[in-house]
Amino acid sequence: MVEEKRWIAPADFAEVLALCQFLPGPNVGNVSVVLGRRWFGLRGAVVAFLGLMALPLVWVFGLALLYADFSSNPAVRAVVMGVGVAGGGLFVGTALKLARPLARKPWGVALAVGCFGVIALGRVSLFAVLPVAALLGWFAARRGLL
Amino acid sequence: MLTLQIALYFALLSLVSVGGIPSVMPEMQRLVVDVQGWMSAAEFTQLFAIAQAAPGPNVLVTALIGWKVAGLAGGMVALAAFCAPAAALAYSIGGFWDRMRDAPWRKDFQRALVPITVGFIVSGGYVLATPQGPDWPSALIAVASAAALYATRLNPLWILSGGGVLGAALF
Repeated sequence: MVEEKRWIAPADFAEVLALCQFLPGPNVGNVSVVLGRRWFGLRGAVVAFLGLMALPLVWVFGLALLYADFSSNPAVRAVVMGVGVAGGGLFVGTALKLARPLARKPWGVALAVGCFGVIALGRVSLFAVLPVAALLGWFAARRGLL
Repeated sequence: MLTLQIALYFALLSLVSVGGIPSVMPEMQRLVVDVQGWMSAAEFTQLFAIAQAAPGPNVLVTALIGWKVAGLAGGMVALAAFCAPAAALAYSIGGFWDRMRDAPWRKDFQRALVPITVGFIVSGGYVLATPQGPDWPSALIAVASAAALYATRLNPLWILSGGGVLGAALF
């Protein structure tokens, strides 16, 4: 959209993306909704979203059906588990990239480690953790600690 | 009934998914595996693997989970329930957020969310990578792929493929 069709300026696209990364929900899905709305209103938002999801949905169901046929095969299962575990590793790598600005912010590191301990190790619900963490983060940010 | 329950769960998850799908994976797994017992932790990781390997946005994992629990209709409902509330919020808040570009509270809020998102996403990775509790093969694969993503410009699909090869050798 930015390079080929020139529908939107790079800076503008970055701004929309920043909003959608911050908003809850799937980033690309939200980008499609915000841009679709901007150009064509509600109809644009719905069409953009469906267009983005339709083909990948067919792919993913196809792959899942294929796997359902082979999931009793231990070798296939080992490969798929390996992919899943690597996918978990990709999350950790992504988080490390996101965490770069926290390098010299001990309060930020403490908050991140605290969230990890409570959620991943303590298995506490996100619905309980998010409000508390957001409040703590908000106070820290207002005092210039983040 | 199951479908309704899925719709409710995923709609709620939608509203706390700051940072997208990775942030809510721990809670999704907790609900689906620990609370409801709809599938094992290993099956959850396998569905996630399929969604990662397929082309397309990673939200599609919600469709696979819904499908596993309540068939094709369940899959469609799960995807819609996860996307709609957040999409409605994006739709309605887009203009307001633009106007608040320079407001101090918006900057504080964004700064506060960085460490929280980081903690949530690492939790998601941990939960997905240790379906049977932490063990050496999983730790090796997860750490290697995290390092590869962080330190190289390798396409993530290659890293996932590497995980598949290591999985075949180690599991």
